[in-house]
Amino acid sequence: MRNYNYKWILWVAVFIFLAVFPRVFSIYYINFFAAFAIFSLYAVTLNLLLGYMGVLSFGHAMFFGTGAYATALALTHIQGFPLLPAVLVGGLAGALLALILSPLLVRVTGTAFAMLTLAFGQLIFVLALKYREVTGGEDGIGGYPIPPLHIPGVASIDMTNQVNFYYFAVAVVAISLCLLWFYTQTPFGNAVVGVRDNAMRLDYLGFNLPQTKAINLVICGAFAGIAGAVHALLQKLVSTVGVLDISNSFTPILMAYIGGVGSFFGPIIGSGVLHLLEDLVIRFTQRIGLVNGMIFILVVLYAPTGLVGLFGAAKEKWFHKEKVS
Amino acid sequence: MSPIAALYVAQAIHGLAYGMLLFLLSSGLTMIFGMMGILNIAHASFAMLSAYFCYQVLVMTGNFWVALLIAPVAGGICGVLAERYLLRAVHKQGHLAELLVTVGIMMVILEIVKIFWGTESLVVKVPPSLRGLVNFAGLTYPVYRLFVIGLSIAILGIMGLILFKTRLGKIVRATVSDADMVNALGINTPVVFMLVFGIGTWLAGIAGVVAGPLLTVFPGMADQLGMDAFVVVVVGGFGSLGGAFIVALFLGELNAYGIQFIPRLAPVLMFAFMALVLAFKPLGLFGERE
Repeated sequence: MRNYNYKWILWVAVFIFLAVFPRVFSIYYINFFAAFAIFSLYAVTLNLLLGYMGVLSFGHAMFFGTGAYATALALTHIQGFPLLPAVLVGGLAGALLALILSPLLVRVTGTAFAMLTLAFGQLIFVLALKYREVTGGEDGIGGYPIPPLHIPGVASIDMTNQVNFYYFAVAVVAISLCLLWFYTQTPFGNAVVGVRDNAMRLDYLGFNLPQTKAINLVICGAFAGIAGAVHALLQKLVSTVGVLDISNSFTPILMAYIGGVGSFFGPIIGSGVLHLLEDLVIRFTQRIGLVNGMIFILVVLYAPTGLVGLFGAAKEKWFHKEKVS
Repeated sequence: MSPIAALYVAQAIHGLAYGMLLFLLSSGLTMIFGMMGILNIAHASFAMLSAYFCYQVLVMTGNFWVALLIAPVAGGICGVLAERYLLRAVHKQGHLAELLVTVGIMMVILEIVKIFWGTESLVVKVPPSLRGLVNFAGLTYPVYRLFVIGLSIAILGIMGLILFKTRLGKIVRATVSDADMVNALGINTPVVFMLVFGIGTWLAGIAGVVAGPLLTVFPGMADQLGMDAFVVVVVGGFGSLGGAFIVALFLGELNAYGIQFIPRLAPVLMFAFMALVLAFKPLGLFGERE
């Protein structure tokens, strides 16, 4: 009972923090927080593959990037395209890409999966770079209108306003994260963890293994696409190097590892830590990659369970001593 | 020879030169994978590092041959250090952790290169004896590419002799097939791992150095070479040297003719080919295990 109250208070505090944030901080930090939220969602979808299903996606940027491009293209070419469908189009594009690739991806595991996703990620990157009449090549797509959020009969909220957009982005990310959280709690979500732990046993239990993997893949693709779509709306510019580049595939892996692979909230913490660190490092040097690379090596070497794992170990050591002994 | 036929032959030799370069690079990658189970993402980064070392030695001494000798060795030493102090520490955590450490190494090398040499393309000049063209059967051909083909064949021949005709080669091949068994027989497998990693990065270093004058030396070099090498290893089958050889030559030709006939789709062809192979043979063309 006490534990329940404690959690309830925590969620209220988070909600108040999110609501008050844009009133307290400047525009720079509002956009900063929106970017953090988007990348949290993106990293969580990667972790659903890495931590829950046990496969490493090295080309996750293709889902993110496809979602971003789909939203940007829809807004550029269709006059008066509304906001919510624009976000959904991004998710749909990511899901579609995952669906197309799933027959190939479900057949492999381990290093082969990583390599195959890497190859497809590069394939999409090169395609986007070469077909410049559609994607704008290296310059990307920019200058598309950001539609207002139109609620029929109630209001039409201007989304070019940074504060309004902050609320919208955070709401989309929060709803997506809630859906993903409930998804991991379903029997199907548990079956996905079973794929990681003992695929053969799951197969014997009568689960359709390729189908289970494919559905998880499509869900991850869809939500990564949604993250990409919101990213496109936030940045007002989609370019190949910005969203499809291989470093954009490594970022969520790094976030998931810093926060803790296998924990649902780990990647969110990782995303926060990485964003704060970047904000700090950029004041001293332009070489963020160097810092990120070193952190990557150090985390894998010394803290393979991430911050969540370290926190759990510390809690176990200091607060539950009597229970252990 | 008719101009059309001459064009085809010229492209074939272009493809051969690039294919040999690719095999030089991917032979180390596939051997490291076969032996240690690590897909070294940073492999091409070590090649790039050697190319930069080559540029630096060239600036300091002005002698390409000295650079060709020193730079790959320096790259190989960096590889050995990375294996000894980083990869060995995560070995017991499994292959995923090792893969991620190599990603970290790749990011660090990329940034170090940018810090010391900047982001612009650096031109590596080849010595006068390798410049110019030769006439052969009514066809002019740049000497440097012929030199690349010759050097690759020479080095790979020597490596092949060591691998298949000496006791050391026997130990290495035995470790590739079953490292635990070899360890149990009293051979220090970690040292063998280190040695193979060093030789692999040395070979990659040579590939990087000879690729320098062809591509110029720039920070994107690792991506460009690395992706091709990965495709070679994945399609040829993890750990299969023969498979890597055939696929490297095939990809070299595919690239050369692809650029000539469908320039826009040339980079896509390679990945499409890879997807096609993996769709039917998930272990690659000549692979026996994952």
